[in-house]
Amino acid sequence: MHPRLTLENVSYSYPLPGRGEVPALSGISLRVEPAEILCIGGANGSGKSTLAQVCAGLLMPSSGSVRYQDKRVERHKDLLELRRKVGLLFQSPEDQLFADTVEKDISFGPRNHGLRGADLEARVRRAAELFDLSLEELGARSPFSLSGGEKRRVALAGVIALDPEVLVLDEPFIGMDFDSRRHMKALLGRLRDTSGTSIVIITHELSSSWSLADRYAMLAGGRFESLQNRSELISNEADLSALGLRLPQWGLLANRLEKMGVVVLDPADPLALARAVCSIREAGDGR
Amino acid sequence: MGGDSGNRISVEELSFTYPGAAREALSGINLFFEQGEFCSVLGRNGSGKSTLARCLNAILAPSGGKVTSCGLDTRDQGGSLEIKKRIAMVFEDPDTQIVGTTVEEEVAFGPENLRLSTDVIRERVDSSLELTGIREFIGRQPSRLSEGQKQLVAIAGALAMEPAFLVSDESTSMLDTNARQRILELFLSLKEKGMGIIHVTHFLEEAAMSDRVVVLDNGRVRAEGAPGDVLYDPVKVSEMGLDPLPVTIVAREMSAMGYPPPGPVLTVEELLACIRA
Repeated sequence: MHPRLTLENVSYSYPLPGRGEVPALSGISLRVEPAEILCIGGANGSGKSTLAQVCAGLLMPSSGSVRYQDKRVERHKDLLELRRKVGLLFQSPEDQLFADTVEKDISFGPRNHGLRGADLEARVRRAAELFDLSLEELGARSPFSLSGGEKRRVALAGVIALDPEVLVLDEPFIGMDFDSRRHMKALLGRLRDTSGTSIVIITHELSSSWSLADRYAMLAGGRFESLQNRSELISNEADLSALGLRLPQWGLLANRLEKMGVVVLDPADPLALARAVCSIREAGDGR
Repeated sequence: MGGDSGNRISVEELSFTYPGAAREALSGINLFFEQGEFCSVLGRNGSGKSTLARCLNAILAPSGGKVTSCGLDTRDQGGSLEIKKRIAMVFEDPDTQIVGTTVEEEVAFGPENLRLSTDVIRERVDSSLELTGIREFIGRQPSRLSEGQKQLVAIAGALAMEPAFLVSDESTSMLDTNARQRILELFLSLKEKGMGIIHVTHFLEEAAMSDRVVVLDNGRVRAEGAPGDVLYDPVKVSEMGLDPLPVTIVAREMSAMGYPPPGPVLTVEELLACIRA
């Protein structure tokens, strides 16, 4: 079976007036499989947002290729097709909200795709409900009058209303509090498990996606350092910090325990970590 | 101004309602902030953190109660400029507050508005760039800098006013780890120099580095005290709408296994110290 989305040796440069071209991505190869959550970590300026836009078909690579399933994205028509399959949540929700009411904003995408009447209404309602947005309460309000967290949820509902097979989220957790983050994480997990949606989370802080991601890729200077799983991240803490990233406390504790000779199999499980700490203490007491 | 009140911000029975809003954004807040102290303000979205921050330097005037900042009542329009000089603010998005075309111009903007002499302005720009460690950016365009560097420029601009307090409204939230670390280290060193730091944040790891923590919930003070006292119990922390520190969750499991850590632990090193003890 083909991966959903494949990037092969993709580079992208921004034209800068008077200064030629500024490379933002160089030689990126990436596969996004069905029903997986991939976390792409990178510091500010590492090329994360450019990568998000290439994945979502908003930017055509300067070189290299993008494939959706078995089809290579070559012409403008293919880009449009890619945009139907890949939904993108921008880092600032303001960048993608534009309609004068919440309901119009959420329904814009599916309406553009030809949905009308009861089908459209059902699609919009379902997307709004997924994000705890009451259309009765907020539907007629301007999205720009909402709080930052609400704006992000409206933007996401608009993306989800298109039923994308791949969801690319650029810094989805910034400025969200504990309850909103927990809700969002549960929702993303559910989308992967029930709809088989592939989810790419692009972020500079690994803690919010720690218990969620199946796979990690670290971006620095427009290149991938290496694709890593959680235990590799834990063992290579120094490399991570050289990239301007840091393990969340879960991972940092697992790293220290590993150095003391105890490997924790699930470093997102507090019980496993507590057992590991206690086992070292017991061994110490016994001496 | 003078005596004790000149060095602190005191908030008495503060309430604030936004025009047209159905409920109060802040109600019955009593707090004080001292110079030479690093205090973090936490709370879920909509709890009133940013509103409180804006009440401290007279951007917002109380609907009820009183805020006295460095001896000046924030309701008194005449003192508003003096308050903004003494209590500087930095926001989440540096782009919203940077106006200069070079870093030097940007940092000089505040002191120039105070009509200080050229020599004094130059001295202040120099010392602010020194404190924030961005002297090498002096001739650069702020728009060409990274987000973290821009935030340091915004902070340098605030410091050029030689404020008694620096209020940071989620100034670290858009930054990566290295940039965040640099700003927190700067806050700690400014505190050592006697400045009062009031840092609004979502990150409990940052709050754990402060001297005192205030948690707001629904416009009221829900908890206040040393980080070890307020942030140690993961159940209480999540009830306040905050993300408990992983270490405190592990510590709770250890207690259930009969190995409670000897005291409140908030960092990995503190937790591991109890193994080594």
